[in-house]
Amino acid sequence: MALYNFKKIMVVPTSKEFIDITLSKTQRKTPTVIHKHYQIHRIRHFYMRKVKFTQQNYHDRLSQILTDFPKLDDIHPFYADLMNVLYDKDHYKLALGQINIAKNLIDNVSKDYVRLMKYGDSLYRCKQLKRAALGRMCTIMKRQKQSLEYLEQVRQHLSRLPTIDPNTRTLLLCGYPNVGKSSFINKVTRADVEVQPYAFTTKSLFVGHMDYKYLRWQVVDTPGILDHPLEERNTIEMQAITALAHLRSAVLYVMDLSEQCGHTLKQQLELFNNIRPLFANKPLLVVANKCDIKKISELTEEDKKIFADLTAEDIPVIETSTLTEEGVMMVKTEACDKLLAARVDSKMKGKKVHDVLNRLHLAMPAKRDDKPRPPFIPEGAKVGRKTMEVDAPKRKTERDLEMEMGDDYVLDLQKYWDLMNQDEKHDVIPEIWEGHNIADYIDPEIMKVKEELKVKDEEMQEIRQLAKQIREKRKMKIVCSKEKDVHGPRMPRTVKKVERKTLEKEMGGLGLDMTGKDAVSRFSFSSHYAVNARRSRSVTVLKKRKREASVAPTSRTRSQSASRPPRDQSGVRDPKMAKKAKKLMKSQQKDMNRQGKKGEADRHVFDLKPKHLFSGKRKSGTNDHR
Amino acid sequence: MRIEKCYFCSGPVYPGHGMMFVRNDCKVFRFCKSKCHKNFKKKRNPRKTRWTKAFRKASGKELTVDNSLEFEKRRNTPVKYRRELWGKTVEAMKKVEEIKRKRQSRFIMNRLKKGKQLEKTEAINEVKKNIHLIKAPHAGKAKQMEDKMVQKLAEDVEMDGAD
Repeated sequence: MALYNFKKIMVVPTSKEFIDITLSKTQRKTPTVIHKHYQIHRIRHFYMRKVKFTQQNYHDRLSQILTDFPKLDDIHPFYADLMNVLYDKDHYKLALGQINIAKNLIDNVSKDYVRLMKYGDSLYRCKQLKRAALGRMCTIMKRQKQSLEYLEQVRQHLSRLPTIDPNTRTLLLCGYPNVGKSSFINKVTRADVEVQPYAFTTKSLFVGHMDYKYLRWQVVDTPGILDHPLEERNTIEMQAITALAHLRSAVLYVMDLSEQCGHTLKQQLELFNNIRPLFANKPLLVVANKCDIKKISELTEEDKKIFADLTAEDIPVIETSTLTEEGVMMVKTEACDKLLAARVDSKMKGKKVHDVLNRLHLAMPAKRDDKPRPPFIPEGAKVGRKTMEVDAPKRKTERDLEMEMGDDYVLDLQKYWDLMNQDEKHDVIPEIWEGHNIADYIDPEIMKVKEELKVKDEEMQEIRQLAKQIREKRKMKIVCSKEKDVHGPRMPRTVKKVERKTLEKEMGGLGLDMTGKDAVSRFSFSSHYAVNARRSRSVTVLKKRKREASVAPTSRTRSQSASRPPRDQSGVRDPKMAKKAKKLMKSQQKDMNRQGKKGEADRHVFDLKPKHLFSGKRKSGTNDHR
Repeated sequence: MRIEKCYFCSGPVYPGHGMMFVRNDCKVFRFCKSKCHKNFKKKRNPRKTRWTKAFRKASGKELTVDNSLEFEKRRNTPVKYRRELWGKTVEAMKKVEEIKRKRQSRFIMNRLKKGKQLEKTEAINEVKKNIHLIKAPHAGKAKQMEDKMVQKLAEDVEMDGAD
């Protein structure tokens, strides 16, 4: 269906442009570098390529033009006729024919020259041949200047034609110029056709779309037709005639009751009768327009008779006024109904109906009881239906309000809000609070609150205090011991004498009660130590006096009653630890033993490779000495 | 107008700030600042990036499960405006914020209390081991023993007296 391809036709370039484009393309897209000293087949190939490339380009573009433009035989007769009216069929065909011829000529030129190039024996010769070929092709194109111009104009006009679907439901408006056809279409559809008091304001066909009974309808506005024979009609009128002739639509013949269009009713009736043959098989309606100025009842008897005749012939005559919109809806509904009826009829008579009818089955449920069960139609649908059929007044739009109020008008969309409380409509709604979205908290059941408790711990404080004191005392002790200057050998504590005063002070600081004599005598360390010291000294003196064969002291002497355990048992809690200690000792000694060291203080480095044994010539000796 | 949440650091994105990235699978990512955006482009996992809220929640450093947190939730069905409902909501919101804040800080305090616990045990240990630095082990024991002996004598005397 060539309906919408009219907009997709590629631009037709002028001949000069065409030549320029093709030649520059050849220059850009083919290799440009060639030298005399190349091999001849290479030179030939180079130039042949250029010729063929140019030919290819011309051929492609021209073929595209030829396929893009619609063939008058292939498209709908309405469009074919329309194009004939507008662009003259012969001229159109001629132009396309010329293009075709040009294409063939270019092909031939290219073929010839490529053949000739096979015998070119030098760069110069080949180059001249190429020049000749391209020149000839370009001359051919230059001659097509007129055709190309004409085709470009046709293309531009064609793409601006209104897209009229010849097969769908259409209402066609016809009549004298200035009777009110364009006003009618403006009222009924969203089209905005120019309406002016002079004749032939509408110079071509215009399409508008409207909806009725949930279907899309086309309304076609035509330029006015004057009453003269077909041969004398100009292009503008011919368009109207074409539309009338080819579109299968309902025809609305518009008449001007007030005769403001400049033609009497009689003349209008004449015209009507003349184009009557065009209305064959089409639902017909006569629209008596401009009834706000003059009504049919106000007409003369003769004129009234005209309308009476028409009505008698079963052609509905409806009075309208496109100014007051009176009767416009009625016309619309009448025309649409009639057309629908006609279309349904024709479909029923056709062959395809049976396929559809076979598949349709309207089921009527059997009545259960006597209770009436009418179909339920909601109120809104009923109202909607009414507005479709009757000329009901539309509700007041914001635009109307704006027009009324002029400068005072303020667009307030909040007044249409549907809230539970109508007086809250103009509230300013809070959205954000302290970084939170209020909308996130909205929940109709949001009334809950919770309390917390705090726990305190006092016991711990005491323990913490003591620990702090301990740490401090420790640090002090460390500092004091570091400060002590130790001259001479370190004597054990048992030998040292402890003054009573210092003892009292220390023990007092630690909380012991030093006041009682008993306490001092029993628990003082000095007396304890002193006694033991005396004891140890007395034992050895005794031994010296007796000079007897003394038994070797098997057990530890009392001098050692302070129980200084031997080194490998001191600080060791249990046999497991003792074992571990021994292991550590052995592992430390391992390394030393391996290296043959006497002890950990042995740092002697053996000279395993003394120079005098490894260097020099061995004259007459051994390696032990050279 | 909504305050969104940054995908990376979970901070607020006020209107007119930050960036929005829409991936080919139609998932929308909002970022509050270029820092978050750049980290995202480096394919870093917010749950492993220490300064983000996601990390803090995932590693239990902040309160995650609590019914005061259930109040703020994006509900996808809009509610028609009602003045009293909005008013009540704002009031409740303030209270909930209060509680939420308290609970969050309490949670963190409790978490830090563990440290206090450790300090406590350490102090106890310290005291147990080294009390001798401040106080002699049998300080006051002499007095105690004396008291005991006195008591015993007194009892004996009593018993004799009873007999």
